[in-house]
Amino acid sequence: MAREPAPSLDAIAAAVLAGETSAVALLEAAEREQARREAADPPLNAFLAFGGEHARASADAADARVRAGESTPLAGVPVAVKDNLCTLDYPTTCGSRILEGYVSPYEATVVRRLREAGAVVVGKTNLDEFAMGSSTEHSAWGPTRNPHDAARVPGGSSGGSAAAVAAGIVPVALGSETGGSVRQPAALCGIVGVKPTYGRVSRYGLVAFASSLDQVGVMARSVADAARVTAIIAGEDPLDSTAALLPVPDYVAEMQSGLDGLVVGIPDEFFPDELDAGMRAACEAAIDVIRATGAEVRRVSLPHTTHAIPTYYLIAPAEASSNLARFDGVRYGLRAAGATTTEDVYYGTRAQGFGDEVKRRIMLGTYALSAGYHDEYYDRAQRARALIARDFARVFADGVDVLFTPTTPTTAFLIGENDADPYRMYLADTFTVPANLAGVPAISVPIGTAGGLPVGGQFMAPMFGETAMFAAAYGLERALAGGAE
Amino acid sequence: MTVERRDVERIAELARLRLGAAELDRFTVQLNGILGHMDQLAELDAEAAEAEAQAAPEIGAPLRADEGKPDALRRPVAEIATDWRHGFFVVPRLASQDRLAEGGDASALEGIDGA
Repeated sequence: MAREPAPSLDAIAAAVLAGETSAVALLEAAEREQARREAADPPLNAFLAFGGEHARASADAADARVRAGESTPLAGVPVAVKDNLCTLDYPTTCGSRILEGYVSPYEATVVRRLREAGAVVVGKTNLDEFAMGSSTEHSAWGPTRNPHDAARVPGGSSGGSAAAVAAGIVPVALGSETGGSVRQPAALCGIVGVKPTYGRVSRYGLVAFASSLDQVGVMARSVADAARVTAIIAGEDPLDSTAALLPVPDYVAEMQSGLDGLVVGIPDEFFPDELDAGMRAACEAAIDVIRATGAEVRRVSLPHTTHAIPTYYLIAPAEASSNLARFDGVRYGLRAAGATTTEDVYYGTRAQGFGDEVKRRIMLGTYALSAGYHDEYYDRAQRARALIARDFARVFADGVDVLFTPTTPTTAFLIGENDADPYRMYLADTFTVPANLAGVPAISVPIGTAGGLPVGGQFMAPMFGETAMFAAAYGLERALAGGAE
Repeated sequence: MTVERRDVERIAELARLRLGAAELDRFTVQLNGILGHMDQLAELDAEAAEAEAQAAPEIGAPLRADEGKPDALRRPVAEIATDWRHGFFVVPRLASQDRLAEGGDASALEGIDGA
C-alpha cells in the first residue's frame, strides 16, 4: 500500500484556525473513514468505542474555542486514544471483559493535555487485553487487522491506534508501551511510533500493567507530527510523582538539524544471523542513507541484549500480577454472578473476566515472586536488567548520540501464527524491550518494505535525549523521502 | 526447573484464579515452555555480582528532593465517601454477609458500633 501524502498536524490546525475547515468537518471525515473500514470484510476493528455524542460535543467545543479567537496547536485535530487511558466520556475497558462498561471518574493527564491543545478525542482504540501482547489478537472484542493486509496482525499491544493512523481514520493516536507496544505496531503498520524516556510523560490515568516500565507513547504519520504531540503531552505533573521535573524542549524546532554531525551506533546484537533477509536489506539500505547524510556511523555492542526477553518476561509479569490484583469484582466493572462467598467473588470474577494471555502472565509473575523462586527468577531478572541498562549507559558515554536498529525481527505476521507457542510471540519484542528495560527513549520510523509489508527502523537515545532521537529520525525520514523523489 | 500440575494449582490459588482442568494442563505445559527460556539468565550471575561490587555508572531518572508536603486531602474523608458509617467506608454487600445476617447474627456493620 503506497503511503499517500497527508497533511501535517500543523497544517490541519492551521486550516481549522483559518476557518478553511472545522473540528466538526474533520470529525465527520473520520466517521466516514471509520464506517468504511468497519463495513469491510473483515472489518478493521481498530476502535472499541467511536464517535457518538461525546465526540460531537468535543468537536463543537473545539470549534467554539476557534470562534472565540483561541489559537491552540492541535485545533480541531481528531485523535484516537488507546483504551487503557482513562477518559471521562468513553468507557475504559483495557480490552478486557473484567472492565466491560467501566467509565473512569477521572481523565488521564495526557488526554486532558490533548484536549487543552484543541484536539478532539474521536474514540478509544483496540488493544491486547491490559496491553499484554504483540499482535492485538488478545482483545476480548476480537483482533484488529493490519490495514496493509487484513490476514495479518497490526502488531500490539497498541494495534488499534496503529491501524487507525495507518488507515487514515485519524492523523495521530496515543498508545502505551511496556515492552514495545507503540514502536512494534507502528513498524508493522508503516507509521511513526515514539516511546519517550521513562518519566518524560505523565502516567496519571494510564491503567497500570508494569509500573517500572509503562510509558505513554505517540503514533503518527510523520516524525514532525509525533514530535509535536510528544512535546504537548510531556512534562511534570503533580498527579504523577514519576513524571520528571525537567523542562520540555521544543522538539520540532530543535530536530531540524537532522542527522548531520550525529554519531550513530549500530549494535551488532540487533543484527543476528537469523534476522529476516528483507529486514536486514532494508536496514542496511537505511544505514547507507544515514551515512550519506553526514552522520558518523559506528559499530558498537550491547552485549546483554540477548538476555532482554527472558528478563522482561519475568519483571513485567511479576509487576502485572501485583497491579492486576485490584481487579477482584469489588471495586471495578465485572462481578461474577452467583458467588456465595467473598472468595467466590474474587476467583469467579477473575476467572470470567481475564483472558488467557492475562491469566498466563499473572501466573508467571506470581510464580516468579513466590517464596522459594523469588531469587531464581525475579531477583536474577532485576540483576540482568541492571546489566542491560549499563550497556546503554556505556555506549552513550563513549560518544554515541543515537543507536539505530531494526524495530522488529520480522514484518507483520499472520493472525493466529503464534497461537500455539506464547514464547514465540514474545520474541516479536526482541528489539524493542531493551529500551524499556533501560528506560531510554526510542522511536520507530518507516524505512521501506520487505515482501510488500512495512519495515520499521528504530533510533534509541540516552535518557531524556528525545531531541537527538527526533533529529535522527527526522533526518532519515527526510533523506528517504528525498531519495524516492 | 520444571513446574508440575500441583505447582500450577498452587500458583493459581495465590493469584486468585480459578482454573479448569483443561486450563491447568495447558498452563502447566506453557509455563514450563516459557520458564525453560528463563534459565539462560543464570549465565549472568557471576557478572552481575562483579558489577554490583563495582561503582555503578550514574544511570536512571533524576530524583527530586525527598521532602514532605502538606496533606493534599484537606477535606474530611467522610465528606467525599459515597457512604460512610462509624468511621468506615460502606461497600456493596457480599452474599456471605447476607447469609450471616439471615442466620440471626448481628451484621458486620452493627457489630462495630462500640468501636
